[in-house]
Amino acid sequence: MKKNSILEVPLLHPNWKKLAYVFFPLPVFIVIGIAILNPKTDPNETIQIIYGSWALAFMILNLTREKVEDEMVRTFRQQAFQTGFYWLIWGLPVLMIINYWRFDRFTSEIFTAYLVLFLLNAYIHGAFKYQKYIANKEEN
Amino acid sequence: MADLDGFSSNKSRLYCLFNADMKNSIKVERAKKDLTQQDLAEKVQVSRQTINSIEAGKYVPSTVLALKIARVFEIALEEIFELEEGDYG
Repeated sequence: MKKNSILEVPLLHPNWKKLAYVFFPLPVFIVIGIAILNPKTDPNETIQIIYGSWALAFMILNLTREKVEDEMVRTFRQQAFQTGFYWLIWGLPVLMIINYWRFDRFTSEIFTAYLVLFLLNAYIHGAFKYQKYIANKEEN
Repeated sequence: MADLDGFSSNKSRLYCLFNADMKNSIKVERAKKDLTQQDLAEKVQVSRQTINSIEAGKYVPSTVLALKIARVFEIALEEIFELEEGDYG
């Protein structure tokens, strides 16, 4: 059965993973650079740079195909997106409750699109890796 | 045949990641044909890890993959895959 092309998710070549790994340490250097050039920068802004960079890194990893992208890996990937979203919708209220305990308010400056994108992509990546780990451990 | 070491039952028990229980006899059929997991994986165009996960019951294959596996062994699908008791209906 052919899949409707509008539903097809094109995946990146495995080499893109190298670029993704660059985005993990990158914000450290950017933040240090900003701190040197403009010491009065709002700390919340630097946190958003970190979240944004890590969100991009996880996003690239989630959209990069494995060396062998067979049906099991595709099933794991689909499940990971579903599970990642599920963890996000439960995880955000938990963060808000923690925020309420600490600062007496549910909302905070840290709840930005960058944070949500970072958490979503990190959860998806975690769910995908977990399934692969379960499938590969205790090999016959 | 080395793959059969320690394999006491004809059907390995499947506890799938996706809440479906199914027994399969891929390991036995593979031994009969003297195929390694890698050989079978190449014949049905998946990774060896996928074959291993199916055998270990960690992954339930799609109908298409199950049919491909049955074709390799030249036997009916039901002779390889079987629902667990309590999974009917």
